[in-house]
Amino acid sequence: MTSQERALLVGDNPFHGISHFSQERSRIRGDTSTSPEYAAKLVSIAVENGANGFMFSVSDTTLSILNILNEDGVVEHLDLYGIVPYAYEYVRMASQKGGLPGLAKAIAKEIFFSGNFGAVASGLNGVVLAKPISLMKAYLAYEISRVKSAVGKNARLSCVLLHQLVTDACLGFNLDWLFKAYVDFMLDRGIKPGFNTGNFPFLVEKFREWNISLEDVLVAAPFNKVGFQMVPSKEECEKVLASLPKPNVLAISILAAGYLKPEEAVDYIAGLPNIKGVAVGVSKERHANETFKLLGDRLS
Amino acid sequence: MLKLGVDKLKLTVVGFGKMGILHAGILNALPKVQLVAVCEKSGLIRKFMKKLFRDVSVVDDVGELSDLGLDAVYVTTPISYHFAVVKSIYNLKVASNVFVEKPLASNYGEARELCDLARRLGGVNMVGYMRRFSVTFRKAKELLSQGVIDEPVSFSAYACSSDFYGIDKNSKVSTPKVGVLRDLGCHAVDLALWFFGDFKVKNAKIDSLFGEGSEDSAFFEVETQSGVGGKFDVSWCVDGYRMPEVGFTVEGSKGVMRVNDDELEIRLNGGERFRWFRHDLKDNVGFWLGAPEYYREDECFLKSLIDGKNVEPDFFSSAKVDLVIDEVKAKAKRK
Repeated sequence: MTSQERALLVGDNPFHGISHFSQERSRIRGDTSTSPEYAAKLVSIAVENGANGFMFSVSDTTLSILNILNEDGVVEHLDLYGIVPYAYEYVRMASQKGGLPGLAKAIAKEIFFSGNFGAVASGLNGVVLAKPISLMKAYLAYEISRVKSAVGKNARLSCVLLHQLVTDACLGFNLDWLFKAYVDFMLDRGIKPGFNTGNFPFLVEKFREWNISLEDVLVAAPFNKVGFQMVPSKEECEKVLASLPKPNVLAISILAAGYLKPEEAVDYIAGLPNIKGVAVGVSKERHANETFKLLGDRLS
Repeated sequence: MLKLGVDKLKLTVVGFGKMGILHAGILNALPKVQLVAVCEKSGLIRKFMKKLFRDVSVVDDVGELSDLGLDAVYVTTPISYHFAVVKSIYNLKVASNVFVEKPLASNYGEARELCDLARRLGGVNMVGYMRRFSVTFRKAKELLSQGVIDEPVSFSAYACSSDFYGIDKNSKVSTPKVGVLRDLGCHAVDLALWFFGDFKVKNAKIDSLFGEGSEDSAFFEVETQSGVGGKFDVSWCVDGYRMPEVGFTVEGSKGVMRVNDDELEIRLNGGERFRWFRHDLKDNVGFWLGAPEYYREDECFLKSLIDGKNVEPDFFSSAKVDLVIDEVKAKAKRK
């Protein structure tokens, strides 16, 4: 993919049975987590119709999908955008294991038994000396190694994005040094640092205040015609988008979680400046075919 | 007296689990607020918090918060600690304004005692029944008050999640000791009290799926003072509820209302149908962390501090939720 080419990414939400529109509707339709085989097929169809990347939360399900895409030779045509951590699973795990201390122990155990010596060393250093940055590095190294072992050497892990909950909590707490350490860690590994946020104008304002170069990072944020999840307002998000130095925004929720028809959603996105690309989830073969053909025609 | 625009509200959070992180993150992002301290029992979490938050005091005991001149305290500990923590906050005069995550207490006796303390010591108090700040439930309340479906005749409510769905009964996973009614069902009870007023429990059934003492699903029937019959279904072991969900179907003489976290629908007897999703109900807020309703709830509490006015849901209305849950447990035991 050239730097001018738009990123047209297949999103993984439908593969986990996620609907931000209406959970009840999703249940009535009988939506469930897609099997890795069918999900990989949908990604392949999207690629045949113009998709050039896959955006996914790093989880056992998506790693299985990547494994199949690798075996089928599809993965080498894709730029991979991993989101860490898979917050839903960790929140559920925290509920089941008695809160944050229980969750921390479970993650530490996973990292220890992963056999990733760099991650284990950094993690031990982090725990013994109570160094949050060492712990973050250990965790990131562990997640990157999981993706790489699923896809092999031919794959391009172009970007690792911090999950929205983590990005926005760290923004709320003004953890500028943590953002900087994250950016440096990723850039050192030749991976674009990314941030999934629900507070796009707030993030841009903070990054400017903290001298974090917006040219070095990728920001994934909701952009859609009806202003769904565009905080604090559609107008403010559009204004800040126009002020960016270069296209470095991945528009997500472009269909407003299924509220909009693809044609009207794409019309709106096509008129916005500084959009690097879009991520759209698909749950049916017809969707994969039609949606990415439309995105390719209108946004490439 | 706090002068808005000159001083910042000085707040603290007691209990730094997921709800503590969520409220502290929202509060700290607000320009008129300063998070000055965090109180947490876990040594491991405290150790890291001291490194993470450079301008925030990290303590392990509520007593250490007494000298900080706090405007308000957020209590986000596990439910079983609410009573002791809130009591200490009042008795040690840590702050007179208190926000407690839902539910207020582990039983009605404790809730009543906290209400007595709050009444005696004054200040603003609030309980985190955040669904009252969800756009769909707010619209439902507005339409019910306007009599769009006329007076309610009956209702059914559910509060479900998949948090413990598909888990082997012999696994080491432990469900919260307070049980599903206080952890999740309290939202449905609170909304029902808000929509329909006080009610009495007629009969109840509680099931344990993860061993003795575990309370994992509940079904109960109620009747309001005006004779409206209601049914509640509560469980954290149901498939298809990736996110916890609360919903109501309300039958009135002019039509039916269905509302849950995502949508609201009215079907009138004449065949007319109206539908609203979050998208249609101005769901945007100033800072989004978790869900928009948390921001609105925090904003409402802070506004009431500045204005020095009471706010809903306060301790007194929330204690009624604890009373209903105690009644459900008592009726279920008698069976």
